[in-house]
Amino acid sequence: MRLTDRAFVLLLILPAALFLAAFVGYPLFLLLRDSFHEVSIYAPAEGIFVGWDNYAKALSSARVLGAAQRTLAYTALALSAEFVLGFGAALLFNALGRRSEILRTIFAFPLMIPPIVAGLLWRFMLIDNIGIVNHILEALGIIADASDISWLGDRDIVLFSVALPNIWLTTSFVALVLYTGLKNISSELIEAAKIDGASAFQRFRRLTLPLLRPVIAVVLILRGIDAARAFDMIWIQTEGGPRFASEILSIHIYRTMIRYGNVGEASAIAMLFMLAMLLMSAAAFFLIWGRGSAR
Amino acid sequence: MKATFAERGIVALLVALIVIVYVFPYAFLVSTSLKPPADALTIPPTLLPQRLSLDNYRAISEFPSVQRSFGNSSLIALLCTGITLLLAVPAAYGVARYASWAGKLFLLAALITRLIPPVAVGIPLFAIMRSLGLTDTHIGVALAHATIGVPLAIWLLASFMEGIPRELEEAARVDGCSRLGALLRIIIPVAAGGIAVTAIFVFLASWNEFLFSLLLSSTGVKTAPIAIAEFKSQYSIQWGTMTSLSVLYSLPVILFSLLMQKRIVAGMTMGAVKG
Repeated sequence: MRLTDRAFVLLLILPAALFLAAFVGYPLFLLLRDSFHEVSIYAPAEGIFVGWDNYAKALSSARVLGAAQRTLAYTALALSAEFVLGFGAALLFNALGRRSEILRTIFAFPLMIPPIVAGLLWRFMLIDNIGIVNHILEALGIIADASDISWLGDRDIVLFSVALPNIWLTTSFVALVLYTGLKNISSELIEAAKIDGASAFQRFRRLTLPLLRPVIAVVLILRGIDAARAFDMIWIQTEGGPRFASEILSIHIYRTMIRYGNVGEASAIAMLFMLAMLLMSAAAFFLIWGRGSAR
Repeated sequence: MKATFAERGIVALLVALIVIVYVFPYAFLVSTSLKPPADALTIPPTLLPQRLSLDNYRAISEFPSVQRSFGNSSLIALLCTGITLLLAVPAAYGVARYASWAGKLFLLAALITRLIPPVAVGIPLFAIMRSLGLTDTHIGVALAHATIGVPLAIWLLASFMEGIPRELEEAARVDGCSRLGALLRIIIPVAAGGIAVTAIFVFLASWNEFLFSLLLSSTGVKTAPIAIAEFKSQYSIQWGTMTSLSVLYSLPVILFSLLMQKRIVAGMTMGAVKG
């Protein structure tokens, strides 16, 4: 039997496609189905159709809305810190040129640490009165007593504290990707602008930033998605506490399903969460990337 | 262009700051793990061990379930890597070599899985695994991890395979080699380096994975990150042992990462190293 090229390709792709259909596609279908049913985790086969009830419940629940708000705040916080610090580091590497190699290696170190270890490590360093961070701050005279800041116990700042390991872990990624982007900008272009009398700030605003736009778009979208989906690092530090102050959507969905056994509502929230992420990634893509190429 | 003294000072300061912030936390973890267990939490905390001690590492032997979890994690990560490569190598070759709408659609679908929050797939996956009788089995958790591994591997492998000159296969075909023969005897050996890199990324993605493991494993096949996470609630926090466990758990990740430093960013772009 002779296969056409097309049949051969399909045959090569088929096993992986079937696998993804069975273990990603089918689960998503079940998620959609369950979101319209009242399903208990203990009797998943005996769902009762409830229409849009789960969605209505989710959208009117103060706890879900709070979790959504915190997810946004957490993502914005982690993303802006990673971007500002990462961009700064990338510019520093670029200015140092070849000499930045050792520095880049050191900077890449957190990339090699498993997320839960990062979460645990920061939890360890932030323990109220015995954590090393507060003792360093005390030694520097920034706070009067080591027990002054309760990083993981104070509801007002806990969202910031649980973002710290995330920022620590992935600023390097942002920096290294942006550095690669900066290196690819032709130095002749920058030199030409210099000769034309453009100041360093003008060169940065009018040349570097626009040319770097596609790279910035990719970095922001990828890191935004990852920060919004975060689970393990927050779970290991606070499990969403104290009193839900660090409970973001993925943690709330997990709890709704496992602790409260309410699969239907968990599915509806997950559907909304996924939809919001798709829309936001698409919007970010068109806003940052699309605008640049239109020019 | 000569930098002024002040400029050099600022750069040096920034460099020092980066080194401190980026290396210090992990160094502190290693240092704490080498202190006597009672010194893990002292007021004020000490940077270096007053006395070197391996007691925190010895203490691990008191927790056989935690020790088993390292075995479970290794087995699951190996299974996941095997399943992933078996599926992804032919698929990536198909996508890279024969441009077709099906291939493009497939690459796009693989990319979209990157947007899906794991918790969204995890909920129904739990029910599916239960009906298949695969909850709390190594293969069940490995299959769940492969949903992350397969799209990642296809993207990485497709880019490696596009770099292989077509003439290689064409020559083989002229010599009477079948298309499948060309894949097995020509492409796979030539792409071995890329496949190895991909395998390491997939292994690490499974080793680091948390949420699927939390949902799908209970007492039988608990993975290391779950055991470490539960360690704190089960035995009130014993920070000493916790630090030694964390060091041991991160060792394979650090070793593998050092091996492929140049490629780590590519892996992260597809979400390999960090969840």
